[in-house]
Amino acid sequence: MAGGAFAQDGAMPRAWDGRPDLNGVWQAIGTAHWNLEDHPAGPGHPDLGAIGATPPGQGVVVGGEIPYLPEAREQRARNFEDRMTADPEAKCFLPGVPRATYLPYPFQIIQGDRKIMVVYGFADANRTIHMDKPNPEPPPIDSWMGRSHGRWEGDTLVVEAAGFNGQAWFDRAGNFAGSALRVEERYTPLGRNALQYEATMTDPDVFERPWKIRFPLYRRLEENVRVLEFKCVEYAEDLMYGHLRKEPTREPPGEED
Amino acid sequence: MTGIRRATFVLAAAAAAALGPGAAQAAELHHIRIIAASPSEAVRWYVRHLDCSPLADRNDATDCQGVELMFWARPTMGSTQGTGVDHIAFSYADVDAKMAELEAVGVRGSGVRLQRFDGGETLRDQPGLFRHGFIFDPWGTRIELLEDPDRQGFHQVHLSSSDPAATLAWYRKVFGGKPARLRGRKEGLLLGDIWLLADAHPSGRPAPTSGRAISHIAFSVPDLANAAPAMRRKGLELEGEPAVPRNGRTDARQVFALGPDSVTIAAVEPGFAGVEAEAGAVADGRDAEPYKAPRTPWGEPDLQGVWTGNSAHGIPLERPPDLAGVESLTAEQAAARRERGTLGSIWGYEREWRDTTLGYDKMTPSRQVAMIVDPPDGRLPALTPEGGRRAEEAARERRRKAARPPVGPEDLTPYVRCITRGLPGMMMPGIYNNGLQIVQGPGFVAIQKEMIHETRAIPTRQREPLDERLQSWLGDSQGRWEGDTLVIETRRFNGRSPYRGTSEGMELTERFTRIGPARLAYEFTVNDPAVWVRPWTATFAFDLDDAQYELVEYACHEGNYGMFNILSGARARDREAARAAGQAGGSQ
Repeated sequence: MAGGAFAQDGAMPRAWDGRPDLNGVWQAIGTAHWNLEDHPAGPGHPDLGAIGATPPGQGVVVGGEIPYLPEAREQRARNFEDRMTADPEAKCFLPGVPRATYLPYPFQIIQGDRKIMVVYGFADANRTIHMDKPNPEPPPIDSWMGRSHGRWEGDTLVVEAAGFNGQAWFDRAGNFAGSALRVEERYTPLGRNALQYEATMTDPDVFERPWKIRFPLYRRLEENVRVLEFKCVEYAEDLMYGHLRKEPTREPPGEED
Repeated sequence: MTGIRRATFVLAAAAAAALGPGAAQAAELHHIRIIAASPSEAVRWYVRHLDCSPLADRNDATDCQGVELMFWARPTMGSTQGTGVDHIAFSYADVDAKMAELEAVGVRGSGVRLQRFDGGETLRDQPGLFRHGFIFDPWGTRIELLEDPDRQGFHQVHLSSSDPAATLAWYRKVFGGKPARLRGRKEGLLLGDIWLLADAHPSGRPAPTSGRAISHIAFSVPDLANAAPAMRRKGLELEGEPAVPRNGRTDARQVFALGPDSVTIAAVEPGFAGVEAEAGAVADGRDAEPYKAPRTPWGEPDLQGVWTGNSAHGIPLERPPDLAGVESLTAEQAAARRERGTLGSIWGYEREWRDTTLGYDKMTPSRQVAMIVDPPDGRLPALTPEGGRRAEEAARERRRKAARPPVGPEDLTPYVRCITRGLPGMMMPGIYNNGLQIVQGPGFVAIQKEMIHETRAIPTRQREPLDERLQSWLGDSQGRWEGDTLVIETRRFNGRSPYRGTSEGMELTERFTRIGPARLAYEFTVNDPAVWVRPWTATFAFDLDDAQYELVEYACHEGNYGMFNILSGARARDREAARAAGQAGGSQ
């Protein structure tokens, strides 16, 4: 069947090679970007009133809790305390994997015959998923978004991502991993307009054992929906450089209370 | 001076010949082979900065007070430092004046890099010898500048050796020369009036010179064929027999050998003048026969792969006035232009850095004279009155910002802030990270530029344009296929990252066409009636480098230490100014 043609039965369309055709604009719905774990409502930055508050949310971690090693659990707590300035999202840094997937913005999958490109609006993030190359071990260079290699297992796109720099967080609650992180993602069609998304995180430096998140990704059905450019650097400059302005707008880092 | 030295050399050669082979022949230093991307640019550099002289009919060599520097466009593995030929030296009557002159030209545009001593000073007294300091040429050659009243100009070749005394003894045994003490103190060997010196290598063994900035040093040996057996007996392991090199300019013979500490040494006969460079491989592609792009499995022209703009780096947007009517540059002119462009860039990056990042030795520089092809004179069209006002305002704004330390990030360009280079700026080849990755899916083309990591998802099926209010840095793009050509039209820019004065009203049309298996022509037309009286069109090409090149994640903003440093430096200058003002106020 020609690429992009819609199946009659409401199933995921098939690509030229018979694989599921994931081309399109997708988005996660929920509060995973606030906190992967179950969390009650909580306060945010007082200047923002209820807009800045953390909405309550049901967790997406299979089994409920991220199995941190004891020291890592303490680090997560420190991250939470410092989140207003330390969260890479606040600084408009590249979000890493899997966080890019469940930021509260749409992303676009462009699925070709050799690569799959995932284009995110936030911070101009993007991922190239190599479908055509052997996965080098160890990954050649560390980065925020890591290095992704994909393969099909039946109708499931399986992506192995590694080669992270260990600086990305998982959410606004300070959940994190280190540079030894490996993520195995599985994208499985749930009919035409949804994908089951699963990501298994392995990092023996931070976690007691591998753990998994699971939630659907939804196709954005609005006509003419776009992944809009969100070049967020300029909105983070005050946070990062405000103390270095001629008329400072912030205290230097470390001098805040 | 060359003439004089060559004359004395003939006498020495005659004397040596009279003594017969095996007698101690005082060989002379003939040339030093330096690897440089563009030989002619290297000649210019040494003539301009170190007072060497051009040689008639030779665009690859310069005469430095009797020693030839012979430049060679080849891949390099980096600086002389760390090899057995650590540096060469030039002597000046007033080394302070010379160093001040080089400091004044600055690294930008000149490629002169200073190597400061620990205290930050560029010159230091060497007790009992002379005052000296170090610089690097743009190709990684370490150069000592010193003040030796006994010899001006090219002064010495300075070896770094695992056993300096034994090394000097070896050179003396093989090439002759006179043991002497520099300034009555430092042991060395005089070859004519050029010193050969050796210091202990700091640790371990020196790296081989092969492939490094100075790839070899050459000595002249008369009647090389007859001298070769004697040289072998003295311990010089010649690689093959002396022979006239292919494309040799003269019939003087040459032979290579490996000296102590893996220093490559050449022995050449007097009159050796290098080789004529082979005709440069031309990869411009514009004249190539029409090429039919392959198709994706779903039937669209296939532009996918990793491309780079490396070969196009250095092509000016506008045709330089002195190149009016010139159809294309020669290969050597093209190499020289790119080298000048690189030296003129922010820090005149050293050669080894540029080579690894730019793939200099893989991509022949484009011989295209200018990017603008329409108007046909290669110049931007005339500005409209409104365009003129905008240009004046932009110039005023630049001057205003340049006149004060930046008050905040907004005083710096969107590029420095790691936001964007805008369009068409983000497509332009630059000094590094020129990767362009194209991935296609049915109905979409993803165009990813490595620099600052920017990705455009271009639809090739018609869709509703965005509302007028949805302006953005890179605008709203609509693509379509015209035969094998991807055409992209983009509107609704926010106008905050202008290219050569473009406005938010710019209509940009880009055309990507595969013109060969490994060549992608890129053409763009700027229609901005507020600024120019007519549209203009420019073109250059990307080269496929799919097998080897991968885009790295250019996490620009995440590591923008430059922004911290620029702003904290600006605040330090503010404090200094305030202090100075306070002192001035206090003394009144």
